[in-house]
Amino acid sequence: MAERVPATVTTACAAMLRRDLLLAWRQRGDLAMPVLYAVIVTVLFPFALGPDLALLQRIAGGVVLVTVLLAMLLALDAMFASDIEDGSLEQLLLAPQPPALLLGMKILAHWLTTALPLIVIAPVLAGMLHLPTAAMPALVLALLFATPLLSLLGAVLVALTAGTRRSGMLLALMLLPLCVPVVIFAAGAVAAAQQGLPWLAPIAWLAAAFILTVVLAPLACAAALRIALDS
Amino acid sequence: MSTWIPLWMHKLASPPTFYRVAGAIRPWALALALLLGAIGLYGGLVLAPPDYQQGDAYRIIFIHVPSAWMSMFIYAVMGVAGFVALIWRLKLAEVVAMQSAPIGAAFTAITLASGSLWGKPMWGTWWTWDARLTSELVLLFLYLGVIGLYHAFEDRRQGARAASFLAIIGVINVPIVHFSVVWWNTLHQGSTVNVFGHSKMAWDMLWPLLVVTLATKFYYAASLCARARTDLLDLEGGKDWVRKIADAEARP
Amino acid sequence: MSSLHEFLSMGGYGAYVWPAYALFFAILIADSLAPGLRRRRILRELRARLARHAARTVRAAEPPSSPSSP
Repeated sequence: MAERVPATVTTACAAMLRRDLLLAWRQRGDLAMPVLYAVIVTVLFPFALGPDLALLQRIAGGVVLVTVLLAMLLALDAMFASDIEDGSLEQLLLAPQPPALLLGMKILAHWLTTALPLIVIAPVLAGMLHLPTAAMPALVLALLFATPLLSLLGAVLVALTAGTRRSGMLLALMLLPLCVPVVIFAAGAVAAAQQGLPWLAPIAWLAAAFILTVVLAPLACAAALRIALDS
Repeated sequence: MSTWIPLWMHKLASPPTFYRVAGAIRPWALALALLLGAIGLYGGLVLAPPDYQQGDAYRIIFIHVPSAWMSMFIYAVMGVAGFVALIWRLKLAEVVAMQSAPIGAAFTAITLASGSLWGKPMWGTWWTWDARLTSELVLLFLYLGVIGLYHAFEDRRQGARAASFLAIIGVINVPIVHFSVVWWNTLHQGSTVNVFGHSKMAWDMLWPLLVVTLATKFYYAASLCARARTDLLDLEGGKDWVRKIADAEARP
Repeated sequence: MSSLHEFLSMGGYGAYVWPAYALFFAILIADSLAPGLRRRRILRELRARLARHAARTVRAAEPPSSPSSP
C-alpha cells in the first residue's frame, strides 16, 4: 500500500512470470515428473513391439509426439490448481492490468517449466527409437510450435474446469478434439522429413495456428475463468 | 434485454410460458415425426429399387445420412443457444443448449454405428480413418466433453455456461479437424473411400431420404421439448408454477 | 411369404441393414423415454420435499398438547 499508482503492464507481467517460475523452482522435484513419464513410456514401446529397427524408425516420430502430449496433459491439471486453492486467480481477475496478459504470463511460465524440458529430451527419446538424424530438426521445430499450442488450448480448458471438482479424465476428453489437428500436422512434418519430402508446409500451418492461438487463447482463458469462478 | 426483441419472445422465454408452449408443441411434433418417418422408411425400404452397385446394403443410407445431418444441425443449435446463453444469460437458452447435447450425442452415435455397419459389407472394414468419419468421431467427443463439463459443476446454471463456452470452441474446432484430416489423408495416400460416389441419386431414393430427414428434425423438436420441460421443472423446483404441476399430477 | 423373406434378407445384406435400423430405433426410443422418467422422479422428490415442509410448519404452528380432530 506504499504506492497507490498501479504497476505498469510490463512490470506486472514480469512480476507474474517471476513469481510462477520461482514457485516452480521451489517445487523442482515436480518439474522432473513429466520428463520421467515421457522416458518411461518411450522405453516401454520397444519392449512391447520388439527391437525391429525398421518398425521403430517408422513409429518413432509419432510415439515421441504422443508421449510428449500425454506428459503435458499430465501436468496440465496443475496449471492453475494452487492459484485456485489460495484464491489468487480471483485476485488476478480483479487486477487493474488486463487479466488476459497476466494469464498469458502464467501460461508462458507453465510452458517453460513443463514443455521446454520435454522438448530438450525429445531428440534423445527419438534417438532411442532410431529416428533418423535428418528428421530431428523437423521434430524439434514441430514440438516448438505444437507444445505452446497445447499449453494455450489446455489453459482455456483448465480455466473452464476451475470451478469443478478436479477431474483429469474430463480434461483429457475435452482436450482430445482440440489436439487432433496439432498432432496431425506435427506428426505430418516429422513423417515428411523422414521420407525426404519438404516438411516446412505443415510447420508453417502449425506456426500460423500458434500465432492465432497466442492472441486468442489468453482472452478465451480469461473469459472462461470469469464463467467458472463466477458464483 | 434490449428493446428490439419482440415482446412475445420475452414471454416465450419465461419458463412457465415455455413449459406450456413446449407441452403443446410436443405431441404434434412427435406425431409428424412418426408419420413422416413411417412414410420415408416405407419409401426407402420397400418402394426404392436396390442400388445397381451396392444392392440392398445402401438402404442404411435412410437412417445414416439423416442422423449425420442431425448430429451437425443439433451441434449448430447448441452453439447458437450457448452463444445466446453466454451473452444474455438467458435461462431458457442454457436449457436448450444443454438439453440438445444428449440428443445430438445420440444421433452422432447412430451415425457412427450405422456407418460402421454399412462400411463392413461395402469396404470390407468396420472403420476407416477418412475425413468424414474422423470428424464425426471428434464430434462425438465434443458432445461428450460438453455433457461431462456440464455435469462436473455443482451449480447447474454455471455448468451450463461453462459447457456452452466449450461448445462454441468446438464450433470453431470441427472445420479445422475436417481440414486437417483431409490433409493427413493426402499425405498418407491411405484408404480414402468415397461412399457417396454416385453424386446424382435417383429420385426414388432421394425422396425417402429427404422425408426421413424431415422426420428426424421433428423428432428433435419433440425430444427437445420434453427434455427442456423436464429440466425447467428441476431448475425451477421452488417456484409456484412447478408446485402446482407437482400437486396436479399427484396420484392418490 | 417368400416376398417377406426376401424383404428381410435384404439381398443378403440383412445382417447389416437390420441391426443398423434396430440400433437407430433403440437409441431414439431410449432418448424419448428418458425425460419422462426423469420428470416423474423430479416431481416425486418435489412432492416429498413439500410434504416434509408442510408437516414441519404444521407441527411448529400447533401446540403439541391439542391434536386437531377431523
